[in-house]
Amino acid sequence: MKGVVFVELLKMAEDAFGEEAVDNVLDKADLENDGAFTTVGNYPCSELVKIVVAFSEHSGLSPEVLQIKFGHWMMAFFIEHYPEFFKDKTSAFALLESVDQEIHVEVRKLYPDAELPRFDTERHSDSHLSMIYSSPRPLDMFCQGLIEACLEHFDEKGEISRTPHPTAENTTTFDVTTTA
Amino acid sequence: MTENTDDRVSRKRYEREKAARAEAEALLEEKSRDLFLANQKLEEYSSNLEQAVLERTAEVRLALERTEAASAARSRFLATMSHEIRTPLGGLLGMIDLLEMDEKEPGKLELLNYAKTAGVGLSKIVNDVLDFSKMEAGVFLFEEENVDIRALIESVKILATSHETGTDRQIVTKVSDSVPRLFLGDATRIRQVVSNFVSNAIRYSFDGPIIIKATTKDNDGKTILRVEVEDFGVGIDAEGISNLFKDFTQISNPLTAAAQGAGLGLAICKRIINGVGGEISVESTFGEGSTFWFEIEIETVDLQNVSGADGLNPPVDLPPEGIQGTRVLIAEDNIINQKLLLTYAERMGLVADLAEDGSVALEKFAPDKYDLVLMDIAMPKMDGLEATRHIRERWAAEQIPPILALTAHVMDAIEEEAGQVGIDKILSKPIPYEELKKAIENVVAGNLSSSNSGPVFSSKPKRAKAKPQIEEARSLVDLMAPDVHKNLVEMFGLDGLSDFAGKFLQDSSERIEKLVSANDDGDFKEVRAQAHSLKGAAQALGFPDMAEWARKIELDETGHEDMTVLETAEMFRAKLTELSVILKG
Repeated sequence: MKGVVFVELLKMAEDAFGEEAVDNVLDKADLENDGAFTTVGNYPCSELVKIVVAFSEHSGLSPEVLQIKFGHWMMAFFIEHYPEFFKDKTSAFALLESVDQEIHVEVRKLYPDAELPRFDTERHSDSHLSMIYSSPRPLDMFCQGLIEACLEHFDEKGEISRTPHPTAENTTTFDVTTTA
Repeated sequence: MTENTDDRVSRKRYEREKAARAEAEALLEEKSRDLFLANQKLEEYSSNLEQAVLERTAEVRLALERTEAASAARSRFLATMSHEIRTPLGGLLGMIDLLEMDEKEPGKLELLNYAKTAGVGLSKIVNDVLDFSKMEAGVFLFEEENVDIRALIESVKILATSHETGTDRQIVTKVSDSVPRLFLGDATRIRQVVSNFVSNAIRYSFDGPIIIKATTKDNDGKTILRVEVEDFGVGIDAEGISNLFKDFTQISNPLTAAAQGAGLGLAICKRIINGVGGEISVESTFGEGSTFWFEIEIETVDLQNVSGADGLNPPVDLPPEGIQGTRVLIAEDNIINQKLLLTYAERMGLVADLAEDGSVALEKFAPDKYDLVLMDIAMPKMDGLEATRHIRERWAAEQIPPILALTAHVMDAIEEEAGQVGIDKILSKPIPYEELKKAIENVVAGNLSSSNSGPVFSSKPKRAKAKPQIEEARSLVDLMAPDVHKNLVEMFGLDGLSDFAGKFLQDSSERIEKLVSANDDGDFKEVRAQAHSLKGAAQALGFPDMAEWARKIELDETGHEDMTVLETAEMFRAKLTELSVILKG
């Protein structure tokens, strides 16, 4: 998993709980590199899970809630650092649909070895989009947070329902219904 | 201190950042190395590719050169073979002609006839192969001349019915009134196609008429001529039709067991017609007959602009202008052809003199000695072109009788050079008796340009007289360029011109002596000065030969033709003597 995710997660934690708390949590989390992450590195996803669990214990918030918050944080980060992906998009659906087709294409140019999740989308109507998330990692709540933040960015309101795939692991269908 | 606490970073945090940076730097180095290696590999590929392209290009170029060399060798081979085959073949056919004339016994005549038929057939194949190879080499040229399609079709018909296999066949010709009397085209090639159609029709049918039709139609303001040859013979099935116009193919003929010809006839026709932008094809029903046709765009000739000789009034047969007694110099090295030409000459009543080679011909030649020269082209020591060139250089145009070249070469190949050296007409070997007789009659009658076989050069020096006997020039006009003569007569009158010419004679005679003695003394400046004056005077009086000789002396060009200044001056003197004789007379 790309180092940028780890770096940003720690930034969010510092923002929420303060540096000292983060230092302490990292000490306890028993990480392979003691929390020395760089954005250009690659780290196992299990390390990310360890960090989330450690902060959950520290804060009393559930790992799911933390993942959702982190989704919001990352969307803000993307908007700030990669405005070109948002420039010509006029709706949340348009952006969600472009993840696999445009954004991941660009990501692969920089990181040919990146293990990217898949986001298959299906537009049922102007106000209903299905997005099927399939990934080697159990981060569906992180997705939830990203989708929520995306709606907020485009100043749209709507419902997001999650349906995990009955058999396939780490595959979840998000049904996004916008309301006027 | 306490308010700075937030800005300070713990040791632990610092160590963590240091470790992260070290890792990032290590990653960067690794990426850089990967990039370097990838670039190196790419360059290697690129240079390998360039090398491969260079090698491949070199291979292809070599292959192309080899192919071109092979093609050139093939062309040379064909040209050589044409010569090697046509010369003896001509000899054979000529001998057969001669034997046939003397032979009375029917049995032997029949054998001779077979021999002749076989020989003519062979000759046709050789010509076909030659035509074909010329087309392959892209040197097949089309002439543009006035074509009278009615006369052309009639002549094809007469030829076909006079031929052994066609004598009992009925050939019907139908030329629509819309077909123009004359149009521009290559009559020889059109005749070749029509006669090929007709001879095929005769070969592939055993009875029923053969119909030759010519019509025209309008296509966007262009006139299209369509010629059809219809027979009621064996016909051709669909598969046969698709192969018909291909090279070296023949359809089996149930009427004759053996194949005839090289299978090139229709392929050549197709190339001819396509070569002039036309179409050629056949409609046929197996067992019922075939209609071969071609269509070409034609340009109608305005009859008002046509002079009689061009075909509107076909040249009437020349009265037997008695070629008997005509003195002819025959330059020919091949013993068979010598015998043949001498016998022909004897039969025509010519007085023949033989030169075994170009150099002998040059030695034997003298003005007023012959009325005609028959010059073989390919001869050892000195060929016919070379000999003609020497004769033209040594003697004035008026002193040289018509020179006819005989060649077994592909005519187009030597046409240009022959024209340059001053050959009046090229005849193709083997030449049948009648054709040679006709050519000689035409030439002797001063009718060089109206003959209908072989090229004629309009660039040759104008012959002053059309009479068979080339005589000494008898009046000033024979020596002078016609336009200058006309101008001077207008200006001075005939008497004035004579006076003028007398002054020139006197002045030039003195100058030429001065020139010669200056040359003996080695005073070349004086030589040039005299030559310059002579040139100017000769030009003014319209004596082209003298002006040219003087020019050569002035510019020191006499050596170009293996002549000394003295020899050139001698020619000048001779001309002056001629002029003096005229003026006294």
